[in-house]
Amino acid sequence: MDPAQPSPKSGVDKDMEAVAAIRGPHLVGPIERDAELMLRVREGDQRGFAILLERHRGPVVHFLYRMVQNQAVSEELAQEVFLRVYRSRGTYEPTAKFTTWLFRIATHLALNWIRDGKKEKNQESLSEQLLDGVERQVPDRQPTVEQALVREARMREIRRAIEALPAKQRAAVLMHKYQELEYSQIAKILSCSESAVKSLLFRAYETLRDRLAHMA
Amino acid sequence: MTCQMKSRKRAELLVGYCAQTLPEAQAAEFESHLKSCEECKRLVAAQRASWKTLDDWTPAEIAPEFNARLYARIEAEQAESWWRRLLIHVTHPLTPLSFYWKPGVSLAAACAVLAVGLMVHIPNLGNPTAEVHVNKVDIEQAEKTLEDLDMLTPPPAPGSPM
Repeated sequence: MDPAQPSPKSGVDKDMEAVAAIRGPHLVGPIERDAELMLRVREGDQRGFAILLERHRGPVVHFLYRMVQNQAVSEELAQEVFLRVYRSRGTYEPTAKFTTWLFRIATHLALNWIRDGKKEKNQESLSEQLLDGVERQVPDRQPTVEQALVREARMREIRRAIEALPAKQRAAVLMHKYQELEYSQIAKILSCSESAVKSLLFRAYETLRDRLAHMA
Repeated sequence: MTCQMKSRKRAELLVGYCAQTLPEAQAAEFESHLKSCEECKRLVAAQRASWKTLDDWTPAEIAPEFNARLYARIEAEQAESWWRRLLIHVTHPLTPLSFYWKPGVSLAAACAVLAVGLMVHIPNLGNPTAEVHVNKVDIEQAEKTLEDLDMLTPPPAPGSPM
């Protein structure tokens, strides 16, 4: 953050106003950079899209993975997220944080997928077979068999605990815990009030505290 | 001893404190509360432990071909959209191209109907006498038919309305 700039204003809207007003090479911080990049994509700058993809691909895929608990599905849904971002480039306006918009699309797709009940009954066994990414780890970090079994048992508990949460509570927890989004952002993503987000979160965390207590 | 704080407020402070997102003054106030509240102290420990457990849940690496697949889909969509635009242009009632196309079809259909009609009945314009002769014959035949009918029809009974 440039110390010469006035102290950061609370709320996203004022940041977005600054971007919309400036729309030049002057960059104030990472949030504005996202919107600035997307504005350039709107003007036809494909490189901007590539940068946004590299920056947000991981968080989006990981969020979706934790929501749907299926690696293949999460990547498929993530592709759809970025496809929709690209399709909307012509009419993009920085009326909210870019990440808010991005995760709104992702959450919408994930909740639809969960609602439509496309989750296979053998999904859990598939995830177990993948050992939460052990197959894709760098070979020289391969755990011993015992370590892998212990880890897998832990992962199974965690997955089940998250999976047992109602879909919106799950989404709120994942966005708050792993993406570190603010209550206001989560509220915009879930199209509810901040108070409702807090209720969702506190209830979810209470459930998780009880469920995961024995694993501490 | 049960905590005196309302559960909703306590939950908010608890989560904010553990996430280190509370304003400094509020964090200090809650920390001071923790010194005398065993229940909240236990809850903070439990919350931190559950988050530490959740931190263990690391997702798998993303497929290396993810970006390539995405760009291929974008390209395919853009190519398809070119075809779609052309199709819409031709079939949509409000596009300039269909303005000439649809009336043309109607005109062709009308011509086809006319051609069929002419093939079925071609008017004889070259021989007016034959037409008159036919008309005359028709009239005589009609008069004879009516006379025959009169003979077949029984006379009305006396006194009945005509």
